[in-house]
Amino acid sequence: MITFDNFSFRYEERDKFTLKDLNLTIQTGEFVLLTGRSGCGKTTLIRCLNGLIPHFYPGESKGDILLDGHSLLELKPSDLAGKVGTVFQDPRSQFFMTDTTRELAFGCENMGYSREETVDRIAKAVLDLELSDYLNRSIFDLSSGEKQQIAIGSVYALLPKVYIFDEPSANLDYAATKRLAETMKRLKADGYTIIVVEHRFYYLRELLDRAYLIQDGRLIQSFTREQFCSLSDETRIQYGLRTVYPEREAAKYQLKPAHKSNDGLSVSNLSFAYKKGPDVLRNINFEAHKGDVIGILGHNGAGKTTLLSIMTGLLKEKTGSIRYNGKKLSPRQRRNLSYLVMQDTDYQLFGSSVEEELSLGIENDCSGKVTETLEALELGAYRECHPASLSGGQKQRVTIGAAIVKDSPVIYFDEPTSGLDYDSMVRVSHLIEQLAAAGVIIFVVSHDFEFITRTCSEVLQLDGQDSIKNQVLTPEILLSLSKQYFN
Amino acid sequence: MEENTKKLITQRQFQRTAALDPRCKVALLIMIGCVSYFLNGEICSLVLVASFALFIAVGNGGKWAAKMLIFYIVIAYLNALLRYVSIPVLSVIMSVFGVTILKLVPIAMMGIWILHTTQMDDLMVSLQRMRLPQAVTIPLVVMFRYIPTLRIEYRMIRNTMDIRGIGDTVWKQLIHPLATIEYILIPLLMRCLKVTDELAASGTTRGLELEGKRYALNPVRFSWKEYAVTALGIVFLALLLFLDHTSIGEIIIWRV
Repeated sequence: MITFDNFSFRYEERDKFTLKDLNLTIQTGEFVLLTGRSGCGKTTLIRCLNGLIPHFYPGESKGDILLDGHSLLELKPSDLAGKVGTVFQDPRSQFFMTDTTRELAFGCENMGYSREETVDRIAKAVLDLELSDYLNRSIFDLSSGEKQQIAIGSVYALLPKVYIFDEPSANLDYAATKRLAETMKRLKADGYTIIVVEHRFYYLRELLDRAYLIQDGRLIQSFTREQFCSLSDETRIQYGLRTVYPEREAAKYQLKPAHKSNDGLSVSNLSFAYKKGPDVLRNINFEAHKGDVIGILGHNGAGKTTLLSIMTGLLKEKTGSIRYNGKKLSPRQRRNLSYLVMQDTDYQLFGSSVEEELSLGIENDCSGKVTETLEALELGAYRECHPASLSGGQKQRVTIGAAIVKDSPVIYFDEPTSGLDYDSMVRVSHLIEQLAAAGVIIFVVSHDFEFITRTCSEVLQLDGQDSIKNQVLTPEILLSLSKQYFN
Repeated sequence: MEENTKKLITQRQFQRTAALDPRCKVALLIMIGCVSYFLNGEICSLVLVASFALFIAVGNGGKWAAKMLIFYIVIAYLNALLRYVSIPVLSVIMSVFGVTILKLVPIAMMGIWILHTTQMDDLMVSLQRMRLPQAVTIPLVVMFRYIPTLRIEYRMIRNTMDIRGIGDTVWKQLIHPLATIEYILIPLLMRCLKVTDELAASGTTRGLELEGKRYALNPVRFSWKEYAVTALGIVFLALLLFLDHTSIGEIIIWRV
């Protein structure tokens, strides 16, 4: 049993308390969802549970947290290693070893278990969680979903009583999310206590026992599963929550106005293969017109990122052509024409101030446009700030701003809503609508069904076998997609 | 089923010389570094590179050894060519540059091979057995883990720079070399900070800071094999140094 007893916490470098007067009890074996807007204190809360607070992130705390009667604040993270296991958000930066087998063994080796015991424990994890296909592989060859499974396995080998997941689905496709849900179901059935922090929680709707809503560091509401799943749309939007039933969004889809000018991007018979490898993409044909928002869909490994790299001119196509306004484009011309907003904004921020960031790489004077764009994106107040000091959502808007200033006629978004709460997702969706209204062609790679139904006017499905074409998005297509994803 | 899984788990991924204790490999690397610096004769330098290329080829590094050996021979030939070109200052600089590369080849060859063929847990165990404090071993291991990531991160950053038109042409790189480096380094450092922080958090929750005795998946021991290899290495390198000072050291093999 975990009890928060009037607990408050303030990070050393901040003036205000991040968590305020928290009273919360989590029973052994309970499956708990913690949710709330970005920055509400969810991550801080789980850092208190795994001992990172106060030992790794120091600060001032009031009240107490008890795990089976012992104060967590007095235990070091290493004392908690065999009791509370954490699976972090970004699978790329939680691997300590470079190969999967050793990653599974990492925790056990730290605990100083004998070789035989370590091997026994990993073998159990591999058999229970069905990981044998992943053994002895380099972590750099794994997909996000596979990395996630190894991360869970590595925690499982330590046999903790409590599992904590920090936004585990943020980087996963539908199939991987489904597998994650199955793994969680297994853990729940075995009687472990499970605490999940998540924005996109639809896959937990069958699993959760309780859901807690946190706002501004306080516990605002507590729901049972029935209450949580039957929240009305008004209430949930007011709380800033995503939907529990994304498939129901399909019926609400409103057809977007069609823009059928002759101008635009047209791709015919495109194919691509990496050196000596088989074709990654084959026979891709589509047309995009000014104002179109095209969703690129497909499972991990279907070639979405490869397609983006070809379209943005980072890779050269094997066959086929890409034309803009009827003129065939070389990779270099494509680069000048397009802009890519990556999922990880850290790679895209080069300037020493937001203002400089927007004007980077542009040779003529653009200060007027920069000011205008900053105002439009509500970034005016951050003009002089270093981009790295901004929040995730703000960083994303800075990169979108750079695309606007560069005047790119085609903008690509790679997973723009991963890890975003409802409000931020809606905001990105509005921004994309505005860009489209201004005549930009937009491509969005996304796994976020709620976001796709809200934003896209057409879809390009890379899962298909034969010739791949874009289709105007209709409620029927959405319905068949939702069946494919959620059943 | 369970037996098979256990077999898979304990399967050694590197054989023969690559399965030597990391301490033995690092000792060889340091000795090679010193000897390579002091060798002047062309024959002895070539023998040094060739013999350790063979050593590496035996231990899962055949391709890499062949690549480095060819690279060495090409550079040696090019360097010899320089004798026939006499541009004041420049040819001296080029010649010094060439010799430096030749001296670095064996070190790079051995170093990168060690990086590729050493399991992280073997490294952690052997560092612990050397009684190094955790304040030294943890940063070392994080660095070891981060090196392969660097290349991926670098590629990502160059891609975005290309799309944004920052330092995307050779011309721009030539006229603004410092700005180009700055634009690469800033996001790289930002990522570094973030990744190392998350990595440390993830390690800490899995008991990284515990100081108990650790055991790797495969036994790590400085056994008679390691002693033999180290001893042979010392004898061989000493012999090379000695021969280099006799008339053998003066033989010129790179002629054009």
